Amino acid sequence: MAEVKKTEKIDKKKPVIAVGDGPAIPSKEDVGLFTAWRVSIIGALAIIAYLAISKPDPYLAILKFVPDGILVTFQVTIEAILLALLIGLFTGLGRISKNRIINGIASVYVEVIRGIPLLVQLFYIYFALGRVVNLPAMVSAVIAMSVCYGAYMGEIFRAGIESIPKGQMEAARSLGMSYPQAMIHVILPQAFKTILPPVGNEFVALLKDSSLVSILAVSDLLRRGREFASESFTYFETYTMVALVYLVITLFLSKLVSLMEERISVD
Amino acid sequence: MSTENRNIMVQIRSVYKFFGQLKALDNVTLDIYDGEKMVIIGPSGSGKSTLLRSINKLETIDAGQIIVDGLDISNPETDINKVREEIGMVFQSFNVFPHKTVLDNINLAQTVVRKRSKKEATEISRELLNKVGILDKANEYPGKLSGGQQQRVAIARALAMKPKLMLFDEPTSALDPEMIGEVLEVMIKLAKEGMTMIVVTHEMGFAREVSDRVLFMDYGAVIEEGTPEHFFKNPTEERTKLFMSQIL
Ligand SMILES: Nc1ncnc2c1ncn2[C@@H]1O[C@H](COP(=O)(O)OP(=O)(O)OP(=O)(O)O)[C@@H](O)[C@H]1O
Ligand SMILES: [Mg+2]
Repeated sequence: MAEVKKTEKIDKKKPVIAVGDGPAIPSKEDVGLFTAWRVSIIGALAIIAYLAISKPDPYLAILKFVPDGILVTFQVTIEAILLALLIGLFTGLGRISKNRIINGIASVYVEVIRGIPLLVQLFYIYFALGRVVNLPAMVSAVIAMSVCYGAYMGEIFRAGIESIPKGQMEAARSLGMSYPQAMIHVILPQAFKTILPPVGNEFVALLKDSSLVSILAVSDLLRRGREFASESFTYFETYTMVALVYLVITLFLSKLVSLMEERISVD
Repeated sequence: MSTENRNIMVQIRSVYKFFGQLKALDNVTLDIYDGEKMVIIGPSGSGKSTLLRSINKLETIDAGQIIVDGLDISNPETDINKVREEIGMVFQSFNVFPHKTVLDNINLAQTVVRKRSKKEATEISRELLNKVGILDKANEYPGKLSGGQQQRVAIARALAMKPKLMLFDEPTSALDPEMIGEVLEVMIKLAKEGMTMIVVTHEMGFAREVSDRVLFMDYGAVIEEGTPEHFFKNPTEERTKLFMSQIL
């Protein structure tokens, strides 16, 4: 009797998925990091403002030139994350499937993707796709990014689903629900809470990695910077600005993710 | 109670179940009649849960046959979801859905599986919540409820499917002693209404009050069966005697 109660308590504890490669996401308890976040954001904004005002040529000119690229960076990131979530959902389901073939495909996909550097994958998928179909650079880039990130998302989904006590699936099935019905109505909504924070991390990580698509003829933030630099020969100044803009964006997104996390843990 | 001319609800024929080397069910043969209330007792690890879970195929048996309400669930062709709609199951650990309100817990399978309208489902749910005595908690989340209340939600959730058979796997053993009564009360009410019930429990008071037949299992096999009176007064097997002396 006592033993049963103990496992009950463990079940109730909120499972956490630890992801190591994300950016520093500030939280209320983490006072030091919170201050670090403030220092970074204020510092970055102050430097941008100072440079733009004190040396408008080239800094202000750079600032005026790159916003198109920021939009493209966001577009690539958002489209890729949505597609990666979809791929991740099916990969995660595949990884827990008892069907050997489905499980095998999902597992091999994850292993292969995790074993190849992102930049190499991007090139490979981009040019492989180019051989079969003639897609706009932007579309190929999004597909390539989401195939890469889908593998990581798959592991997040798998861990999230596995964090739900197996009694939940059994209860749903014993009521006559099919496996997909039980997943949709019972398991995934609960796994959502566990999945969201690491997905937030991946989102910020993907935004940073999206700078790699600048190599694939996509005019993102980094590529716009490069275009500006190669015409004005202000490489140092341009990349200083580009780095600061990336920093401000990721700092804001990290904050957003942490606020969302807090919101969820309150419910 | 005479079982002579009643329909058989569950037929269990020479059933074996292995977990690796371990024989969890060892040649179990058993009939459960329409309207019968059977209590299963036995030491920990004797296969009580495995037997119960085999009846709605949460465990797949390795040999033998199980027929529920005329449908052979050991046949892979049988649509198990259809069979499960007719079998309610109540777990030791409640397994209520924590992300849904009490009302939505009970509505869910009604709308998704039975395809009832939300309105119709809600009517049935409220009626059942009233029956198990927690209508006032309809809009709470399960996390706010005591164990006894959660288990009553789980019972109502199973009953909402209008099952022909209810399985209970130690429904009160995770409960604080003061909450056992409220759950047993609901089960007794259900028994009196004629529900067919298979109950794994060591609450011998419950067995004596409602059960037609008690089954004693050990090492995956049925060792002895009889009326509750038989078990209280003169069990024949040594193992049964020993076990009864331990739980009483
Ligand atoms: N999924 C499983 N994998 C491996 N072994 C299992 C599994 N489920 C049950 N067993 C084993 O099968 C045997 C019967 O288990 P079962 O849960 O049916 O016993 P029980 O009579 O319900 O016991 P308890 O009173 O502790 O609930 C036990 O030895 C148990 O360890
Ligand atoms: Mg058990």
